[in-house]
Amino acid sequence: MAMPDFTYVRPGSLSDACALASSLGADAAFIAGGTELIPDFQRERETARQLIALDHLPELRGIAEDGGGLCIGGLTTVSAVASSPLVRARSVALADAARAIGSAQIRSLATIGGNFCRAVPCADTPPAAIASGARVRLIGVHGTREMPAEEFFLGPRRTVLTSGEVLVAILLPAQPAGSGTSYQRFSRRKGASLAVAAVAARITVAKGRMQGARIVLGAVSPVPLMISAAAAMLEGERPSAALFAKAAAQCAVEALPITDVRGTADFRRELVSVLAQRAFEQAVERAEGRS
Amino acid sequence: MSTEVLVRLNINGEDRTLALKPNTTLLAALRQHLGLTGTKKGCGTGDCGACTVQVDGDPVNSCLMLAVAAQGKRITTIEGLSHDGELHPLQHAFVKHGAIQCGYCTSGAVMASKALIDRNPTPTEGEIKEALSGNLCRCATYPRMIKAVSGWKEFEGVPFNSKPHGHAERDQVRDHDTVSHGVTRYDGPDKVTGRAKYTADLHLPDTIVGKILGSRVAHGIIKRIDVTKARALPGVLAVITGADVPDAFYGVSPAREDEQILAKERVRYVGDEVAAVAALDDATAEAALKLIEVEYEELPAVFDPVAAMAPGAPVIHPEKPRYAGNINTRVDWHFGDVQKGFAEADLVREERFIGNRTYQSPMEPHAALARWEHHGDRLTLWSSTQTPHYLHRSLSRVLGVPMGSIRVIRPAVGGGFGAKAEATPLDFCAAILSKMTGRPVAMEYTREEMYTHFRGRHKQYIDLKIGLKKDGTITAAEHTVVLDGGAYTSYGVITAYYAGSMLPTLYKIPNYKYEGTRVYTNLPASGAFRGHGVPQPRFAFESLLDMMAEELGIDPFDIRLKNAMEPNTRTGNALDISSCEFIATLNRARETSGWAEKRGKLPPGKGIGVGCGGFVSGAGYPIYRSDFPHSNAMIRVHEDGTGVTLHIAAAEIGQGSDTVLVQIAAEELGVPYEWVWMADCDTTVSPLDLGSYSSRVTLMGGNAVKMAAANVSAQLREVAARELGCDPTALTVRDGRIFVPQHPSVGMSWADVARAAFSKKGPVVGTGSYSPPKHLGGEFKGGTVGTSPAYSFSTAVAEVTVDLETGYVTVDRFTDYSDAGTVINPVTLHGQVEGAIIMGLGETLLEDTIVGPSGKFANANLHDYLIPTIAETPAIHTAAVESFEPRGPFGAKEIGEGSMLPVFGAIANAIYNACGVRVTELPITPEKILRGIKANGGAAAVATGARG
Repeated sequence: MAMPDFTYVRPGSLSDACALASSLGADAAFIAGGTELIPDFQRERETARQLIALDHLPELRGIAEDGGGLCIGGLTTVSAVASSPLVRARSVALADAARAIGSAQIRSLATIGGNFCRAVPCADTPPAAIASGARVRLIGVHGTREMPAEEFFLGPRRTVLTSGEVLVAILLPAQPAGSGTSYQRFSRRKGASLAVAAVAARITVAKGRMQGARIVLGAVSPVPLMISAAAAMLEGERPSAALFAKAAAQCAVEALPITDVRGTADFRRELVSVLAQRAFEQAVERAEGRS
Repeated sequence: MSTEVLVRLNINGEDRTLALKPNTTLLAALRQHLGLTGTKKGCGTGDCGACTVQVDGDPVNSCLMLAVAAQGKRITTIEGLSHDGELHPLQHAFVKHGAIQCGYCTSGAVMASKALIDRNPTPTEGEIKEALSGNLCRCATYPRMIKAVSGWKEFEGVPFNSKPHGHAERDQVRDHDTVSHGVTRYDGPDKVTGRAKYTADLHLPDTIVGKILGSRVAHGIIKRIDVTKARALPGVLAVITGADVPDAFYGVSPAREDEQILAKERVRYVGDEVAAVAALDDATAEAALKLIEVEYEELPAVFDPVAAMAPGAPVIHPEKPRYAGNINTRVDWHFGDVQKGFAEADLVREERFIGNRTYQSPMEPHAALARWEHHGDRLTLWSSTQTPHYLHRSLSRVLGVPMGSIRVIRPAVGGGFGAKAEATPLDFCAAILSKMTGRPVAMEYTREEMYTHFRGRHKQYIDLKIGLKKDGTITAAEHTVVLDGGAYTSYGVITAYYAGSMLPTLYKIPNYKYEGTRVYTNLPASGAFRGHGVPQPRFAFESLLDMMAEELGIDPFDIRLKNAMEPNTRTGNALDISSCEFIATLNRARETSGWAEKRGKLPPGKGIGVGCGGFVSGAGYPIYRSDFPHSNAMIRVHEDGTGVTLHIAAAEIGQGSDTVLVQIAAEELGVPYEWVWMADCDTTVSPLDLGSYSSRVTLMGGNAVKMAAANVSAQLREVAARELGCDPTALTVRDGRIFVPQHPSVGMSWADVARAAFSKKGPVVGTGSYSPPKHLGGEFKGGTVGTSPAYSFSTAVAEVTVDLETGYVTVDRFTDYSDAGTVINPVTLHGQVEGAIIMGLGETLLEDTIVGPSGKFANANLHDYLIPTIAETPAIHTAAVESFEPRGPFGAKEIGEGSMLPVFGAIANAIYNACGVRVTELPITPEKILRGIKANGGAAAVATGARG
């Protein structure tokens, strides 16, 4: 379909952007990379008629060290996240998840904030960021708030953002010593395709025992799904294939997949089990410095 | 309505200020406002990459970027790549490596490659695959893109010429100057620079746009249709419904014309055309469609062909009693005696195979542009078509205008694969709306509308039974097929015949029975797709042959060699095979693939399998009864003697036919390749050719061109003989000289002779016409489908890795040998074979249209209907065996379709070899494989040896 008519403004500052969006309410939408928004207009899924651009605001862009962690501006392109040595040094999972998105062309435009805010269930960076303990920073007309990234999502295409509120940064903390991350994803073809199921994990290994595991499923539930019961199974234990299989089975049990054109719910559940085991193995390998 | 804003863009180093509405994408700004049509639109949703440009050096989908957001950034398009008329070395590399076929994805692929080499001048294959995986190429020229991007630096500072690159992949040695050499594609430089014009790139002043409204119900009667509001919308110039279009039915098969331009009463699938509008722009046209009120009486719909044949099923064409039971056509053939054949067999096995309803997905959406000229009584139609003649004829018949008053022009075509082999509603509606409004009307399908119009592969339900002797000799085959036809016939009658006729051309089957039933359902019509009707039966046959060979303990190659077709044979279904080097393809593929070292010796999860195939080199008969020659060519010598112009209304759709025809002309004329100018395909000047289907152009068009060239050459020899005072028969022509071969110094330059000829007698024009020989076998009902002057043969070996835990299949390697007769151009031939392998890989593993509950395809886009990307590209070795077809020009026959046929079976057999799972229903998805692995005891059991 042809694009509907809309207006487009580039506010002079973030506070102007927030104030404008807040005053326009549901008629307004922020536009970052536009890679989700523009197709959504064409599919008549997006109804906003006033676009407020954010891409020119320098404070929203870039990756900065922040203590031992990183402050990744919401408007940072997925391509920049994927290729950042700073990100990779802390969370291979997040770098890999960013690299898995779409194509080189999409990654040049799409932003990590957009990947969060459009809240598509198969989005790649949220599970990896959540597993890596990321927090999100939101700024709106009522001020700034921060929260664990897992609390940001409410449902498919629904987040905690209120009218006029912008996800300004993803805060990736310093990772615990002796930890490793992994992002495992299954898609129907190698090049440019959406995840059918994904598992992100971070596991810390101390004196041969696992602790503080964070396990997050993607594309198999309405929102990125933390599986604490599986993490609990690993707590204090030595890594073993049998234990990984058991924890992975727990992930599969708790997944909430649907059947759609990309795969059946049953198949997705099986994939979760396989991907979870692979994620555990790789996270531990990385934690132990073996890869 | 939002107002326009001034947008300042820096494009290819120039600042341009445009007044644009904020919703204008960068792609629309480039194409519609700046006329930079080198950047293509393939989907509009960021899935195909045809619109790739560089923004501040980064590759982006210009369809996903608003022009207003591109302000202040440096934008580079394909038009900005070459400087001072010289190709950029990357473009040069694309041409020399043959990394261009239809060319529609080329601009985007070149720009994505440019963004890569700007950052990384010496990328690895892995880096190239990652950088280009967002550039879909349905011709699947991926292996050549990898070569071009890896080797681009080699072309720095090298002036362009059309000479072959290096040894240019020659598999055969021929004493020819142009034929058999890998000269660069005729259309290469224009396609790699974005200069080549496709239908949607054309712009005529005052053009308006047309859009079609499709039915929202799968089956129903239109009770009321009200266009008042649509007509009243400002900017709408015309609205038409079934009441405004001719009553004539049209269709590809004369005996089954069952389509009308717009529905008169009944709609038969979601998307069946109901109304059309012409408006000033797309947005207005779409708004108008929404204002058309249609009230339907919904009828029960049927989406399954078996259910459609059952008593009490909804009747889809009730006005035509011949289609009772929704049976569109039935084929019933019996050759020899299958009962006797099965009785003689030591092993008889019957299996069911189910195919998939795949879509050609050419990268260029269908498009048409119509304008009435003269006194408003002559129509010019530019159309993205692979069959200009059938389009021409359909327009004439349906519109009631003589062919002589219609001019069909085929601009560059961005792939067809069968999807563009018939007149579309776009062609008809554009013509009618243009007549009504007096203005040029441009129409194109969206990606989603392409799926809705469809004409993709028939989903076939195949019951195949084979009888074998202990030594593997085939005694009989019984082949029963139900084809899901969708709502209309399209090519379907022919499909139903091909599904049966092509099995016995590959192996000797002494007793053969085929029953094919094509059934109407309330789905988009299926049509002709590369390999027309044959890939699924061939998949079934190659799979079952392997299953039975295993039971008998015979190597898959040995059982194929045992039954392989040989030259000068009349097949079990009474078709005449002339040249045939099938056995050579088997032997070479077996040897080169390392079959003996690999088969049975690979680790769990890795497998190797063989598949074979063959196809016609052009259909022996046209689609409608006619005594017209199938191909006709005209060559006119340039007045100044600098070469010739070749006219033929054939259809270059990416397969390289223009290149091949120009090579044939040059060879026969005895002039350099560069001296031949291929005229645009325009029915007012180009003689009739039936078009690009049934792999016919090289053989049939090639013969016509060769005759035309011989005719010109004879005229010039006459003139030269008079000048030289010798007998014309004493003269030969080669390399731009006409001379006495025994005394090479006695002669004249071709150019001097050509000038002398023009001076003496005016224009020198030669013509040629080709009709296939009359008696090609097939003297029984429906037997004409399958007849051909020549048949191709090929063998492919696939090597795969199956992830035993997820079922994911990676195709690692393909080894393919073809008997295509003389190879006219090895670079384009290998490009076709590689593309067929990758397209076949997609159909085998990835592709299927999914029917939603309402009968609408649920995955009508390029992110849910997945076609292979460059990342899927296996290592491919292809070669042509030594072969000569006496009926072909210089000994040539086909390659384009036959090369698809071995792929499905080879992959299926390799998967079985890798993991012991035999999947008989396409596509072979990870889920199906995993189910099979579990049934066999799981991944661990496979790893310990439970495999084929």
